Order: sequence, then C-alpha cells, then structure tokens
Amino acid sequence: MASLLPLVRRACLALLAPSWVVASPSPARAALPELVWSGDWAFWQAVAGTVLIVSLALLGIRLALERAGRRRAERSLGERLRFETLLSEQVATFSRVSGADVDRAIQRALRRIADSLSVDWGNLTEYSDDSQTARVTHGWAAEGVGPQPSAIAFEEIPWVVTRLRRGELVRFSSTEELPDGEAAVDRQTYRRLGIKSQVAVPLTVEGTVVGALAFSTVGTERVWRDEFVQRLQLLGDVFANTLSRRRSEMEGQRLRQDLAHVGRVSTMGELTASLAHELNQPLTAILSNAQAAQRILDSEGADLKVIHEILRDIVEDDKRAGEVIQRLRGFLRKGHLELSTLDIGELVSQVARLVSSDAIIRNVVIRLELAAGLPPVVGDRVQLQQVVLNLLMNGLDAMREAGAGERTLVLRTFMAGPASVVVAVEDSGVGIEEANLEHVFHAFYTTKPDGLGMGLAIARSIVEAHGGRLDARNNLQGGATFSFTLPIIEEAA
Amino acid sequence: MIASAAPLVFLVDDDASVRKSLARLVKTAGYETELFASVRDFLARAPYDGPCCLVLDVRMPGLTGLDLQDALRAAGQRVSIVFITGYRDVPVSVKAMKAGAVDFLTKPVDAETLLGAIRQAVARTLTDRRRQARVTEIRSRIATLTPREAAVFALVVTGMLNKQIGSELGIGEKTVKVHRARVMEKMQAGSLAELVRLADEGSVIAAGS
Repeated sequence: MASLLPLVRRACLALLAPSWVVASPSPARAALPELVWSGDWAFWQAVAGTVLIVSLALLGIRLALERAGRRRAERSLGERLRFETLLSEQVATFSRVSGADVDRAIQRALRRIADSLSVDWGNLTEYSDDSQTARVTHGWAAEGVGPQPSAIAFEEIPWVVTRLRRGELVRFSSTEELPDGEAAVDRQTYRRLGIKSQVAVPLTVEGTVVGALAFSTVGTERVWRDEFVQRLQLLGDVFANTLSRRRSEMEGQRLRQDLAHVGRVSTMGELTASLAHELNQPLTAILSNAQAAQRILDSEGADLKVIHEILRDIVEDDKRAGEVIQRLRGFLRKGHLELSTLDIGELVSQVARLVSSDAIIRNVVIRLELAAGLPPVVGDRVQLQQVVLNLLMNGLDAMREAGAGERTLVLRTFMAGPASVVVAVEDSGVGIEEANLEHVFHAFYTTKPDGLGMGLAIARSIVEAHGGRLDARNNLQGGATFSFTLPIIEEAA
Repeated sequence: MIASAAPLVFLVDDDASVRKSLARLVKTAGYETELFASVRDFLARAPYDGPCCLVLDVRMPGLTGLDLQDALRAAGQRVSIVFITGYRDVPVSVKAMKAGAVDFLTKPVDAETLLGAIRQAVARTLTDRRRQARVTEIRSRIATLTPREAAVFALVVTGMLNKQIGSELGIGEKTVKVHRARVMEKMQAGSLAELVRLADEGSVIAAGS
C-alpha cells in the first residue's frame, strides 16, 4: 500500500500537469513538485476534478457513439424500408399487370430498383439452350454508363451460369472474389465488360431456371448486403412468376387463334358448295362470252361493237371472280386481333351475301332487318364475320331438319340500351331442347353428324373478347334465336 | 309460230351475266333465245308449239329446275331440257335424266358441248311431239270402236284365229269376221301386221302414261 501511493501521485500529476502548466504562472509551475509531495487538500481536490472530467469525457464519447450508431441504424432502416416499399409496390404491380403490359412493367421496375440502389446496370436475361446464350430481355443502364451487352454466351461466364442454373445466387463485391481456377474465364469476361461487382439471382419457373435477374456496378466496387440479396431473390420470383403467366397467356391466345382458324376452315368446308357456285357463275359467263366472241369473229361480217361489249363483260366477270377469292382469303387468314371501327350492318350484310347461294340451295329465304344509323363498334372484322357466319350456317342447318313450309332466316341488328348493339339470327327450324340451351356453347358439343362442336364455343369466346355476350333462346313460334351484343364506341363528350 | 324459222332456246338462270353470255353463244349457232330469271317467269309464258328446247339451271331461288321439269311433264308440255349446274350432284342428275332430260352439264360449260346438247334437245322435242301426236291419233281411232269391236281388236292382235275369238267371246265366227273388218277400217290398217303395230304404239304409250 505504501509503495502504491507514490505511483498514484505520479499518475495524477502526469494527468494534471498539462492543465496546470497552461493555467499557472511560472512560479506556480516551479512550486508544483512541492505541492504534489505535500499531500495537502488541494492535491485531492485536483484528483477528484480529474476523475470527474475523465468520467464526463467517457460519458460524452459513449453518448456520441450511441447517437452515431442510432443514426446509422435509422439510416439503414430507412433504406430498408424504402426498398421494402419499392418491393411491395412491384409485387402489387405485377400481380395486376396484364400480358401486354408485362414488358413495360418489368422495364419500369428495373429502372426504379437500379435507381434506388444507385447501380449502373440492371437486367433480366433469358437462357436459351439452343443458342447457349443468356439473352437480355429487359435491361436498364444508368446515365453516363455505356450500354450493356444484349447477350452473353454461356461459355463466357461458365461458373456463374452453372451456379445460377443450380438455383444458387451469385454475388461478388469485386472480381477478385471470383474463385481463381474455376471462375477465371468469368473474371476475364467481367473485366472486359468493365463490371466490378454484381449480384444475380436465378429466375425459376416450375422448377426450371429460365434466366436471371442481375444488378452490376461498372467502375466502382460495391458490397451487397445480405438482406438486400434476400429481397432481390423475392423480386426475381415475382418476375419469374409474371413471365411464366405471360407465357401461358400467350399459349392460350395462340390456342384460341388456332381453334378459331380450325373453326373457320371447317365452316369453310360447309361453305364449299356455295363458294363453288359463286365462282362458277362468273367463270361460266367468261367462258361462254369468250367462245361466243370466237364464233362471231369466225363468222362473216363480225360486228366489232358486239365484240367490245363481250370483252367488257368478260372483264367485269373476271373481277367478280377475283372478289370471291379475295373474300375467301380474307376469311381464312389466321392471325392476331386486328381492331378497327366497324359498321355492324355492313358486316352482317356482307356475310349474308356470302351464304346467299347456300341458302338458295337449301331453299331458305334470308331476310335482313337492319336498324338504320347504328353507331359503329370496334372489333376484328374477320373474327366478327366468322361469328355471324357461324350463326347463319347453324340457322341453315337447323332448318334442314325442319319439315316443309316457310323456311326463313331473319338477320336483325338493333340497339339494346344506350351502350350496345345486338345482332340476332332467328331461324324457323326445330329449336333447341331447353336442357341443351347452355350446352350448345360448350366445346365439342354438337348435334350434327359431321360437326366438330367448336363453332359456337369459338363464337362465344370471340364475342366475349370483344366485351359482348352471345346467348341462345327458343322462339315462341318455333325455331331458335342466337344473338350477341357488342359495346358501341362511346361518343367523346 | 311460223314467223321465226329458227328454233327457240329458252334460257332460265338466276344469274344475269350467265344468262346474257349463254344467250350470245347460243345465238351464234343460229338459234333464237328467250331469257328468264326464274322458273316462275318461265311458267308465266304461254306454251310454245314451235321447235324449241330449254336450257335450265338446276338451283335457283324459289322453284328449282327440277320443279320446272315436273311441272312441264304434269302439264303434258313436251319441251326437251338441257340442265346446267354448278354442282356435280349425282342423285339430282340421275333424277333429271330419268325424267327425260337430254343432258346434265356442269358449269362452266364448253360451247361445243352445250350447242351439241341444244341441237339434240331441239330434235328430241320434235320427235317427242311427233310421237305424241301419233299416239293421240291412234287413241282417237281406238275411241271410235264399239265395246264389242274393241274386244275383238284386243284378241286379234294377240294372234288368235276368228274361231278361237268367237268361242272366247261366245259369238259366232261370222260375227267375228264382221267386227274384225270394221276394226281394220276404223283403225285405218291395211293389214294385220299394221294393226298389230298400231296396237303396240297406242298401248305402249297408254301403259306408260
């Protein structure tokens, strides 16, 4: 204890010395050792003061450190919150987005995320086994950074692709982190492209990795935090889900188009007889006219005026034959929805003309009762023609089974309420059994021996795609009526 | 009737340009033409006794070509028909040919084929009408026979002898002879062979109608 005291004294002196030296005039400085050794009251006062100052300083430092830590935590929390908000916004957006808007939505999401993370490149790549490349389907590059490559061959980044395809994520803060041996090629590629750091998550659809979502920095290295990487995986799942949904939507659309095509072709088969007739009339006239002209020219005193008339008629009939073929072509065309503004009355009468000779063969009178001045509708001409044609052919078929008597098919157009027009096909056939009224719209339901049972199913899907309804009912006086509605174009107020 | 020496071809087709072109062609072969857009229009026309034929579309709005064929037959009008059609419909063509059509041609139809068929049809109309006139004549002769004479006539033409006919009818051989002479006279037959032919012509047609 006795040996410890001088040590304490010395320590205190050393601690206090600087303030003492600064605060005291030189005689006091000279008296210092004396004071220290004297062990009087002033000395202990100084010790207490020193302890107090040191404690306060320590407290201050601790407070400052705590505040800094809190601020950092707050900042990181804010960042995370912002990112979480952004992410949940994207999830919400993508759950609602329709097939046609997917590309734009993905593009927008990439930009917003890359912006908020201040990275240089963000992209969605799709893996193609045929070409052995990762093709960028959606990409975003920050301003002032060059464009990213549109595709990278698997062999340029073998290590990264292998890991992603196993469903693992890839993250590196600098290319140095890439393992030396196995990722040497990858490292070379990234250096060539100028990529310093990257995080990439696999996009998995039904258990298969179809591509990747990646963010990269160019020029600067970057540490990717764990929580961010986890969140990115979630976003990747959302994208993958959306893309897979679009793929099945497109599949569905293609299927519908194929079916519509099948429907048209089979309706066409039913129409062959009537089309042969339509083509035959002008061809007959052309041949007879031409042979008449030959005979006139062979005879003496040929009248050139008659020859002129004949030639003019031949040209007319040739045009007529061409129009029949044109109509047939337009009808058989397989393709996408081509929307245009349509006069529904005109469309209906065109189709009625198409089946007119068929009606004659079947001894059916087609009567048009078209309301005048109907507002235009928007739709795909060919598809709507097909619907009308299908209903007309069904009407004709229905009357085949009916006995002799008045065989009339009435084709009506009229307004139903302020916002839609109706096309109704009313036959005087045998009608439909009440129990089957709804079945007739089901695929593969048919009462015809050679029918596919697709016509009405396709017709209904077309009408519904146009925002309308297709219904069937029996008439009080016999026969059935098929009618569909179409929304009219709203007048700009 | 005598005014136009050229045979008349009636054209019935619902298609105006087909009608017009066929008429031009037919005229180049020296025929007169009359055009109709429907069966009803044609039926509204007074029957024509001169040399003629009908070129008829099978399928038309309202009454069809086959309906017209039936109507003409029912009315006893002898006009040979050449059908033209856009469809190779075998059952319909068989039906038309069985009902006496000269030909059943598919559109577009070649000039030579059509004109050949028309020539044949015009000739057929003439022979039909001649045969019809002869049958009418024979029937009118038969109509002048008494019931007893008719009975004798029916048995004579089967090759029976007078004696056999007498026992068949329960009359004397001499009486049979008298009736037989009357029959020959009324039927304007110079020989038994001629009488048999008249009976044949008359009864074949009679059985057919």
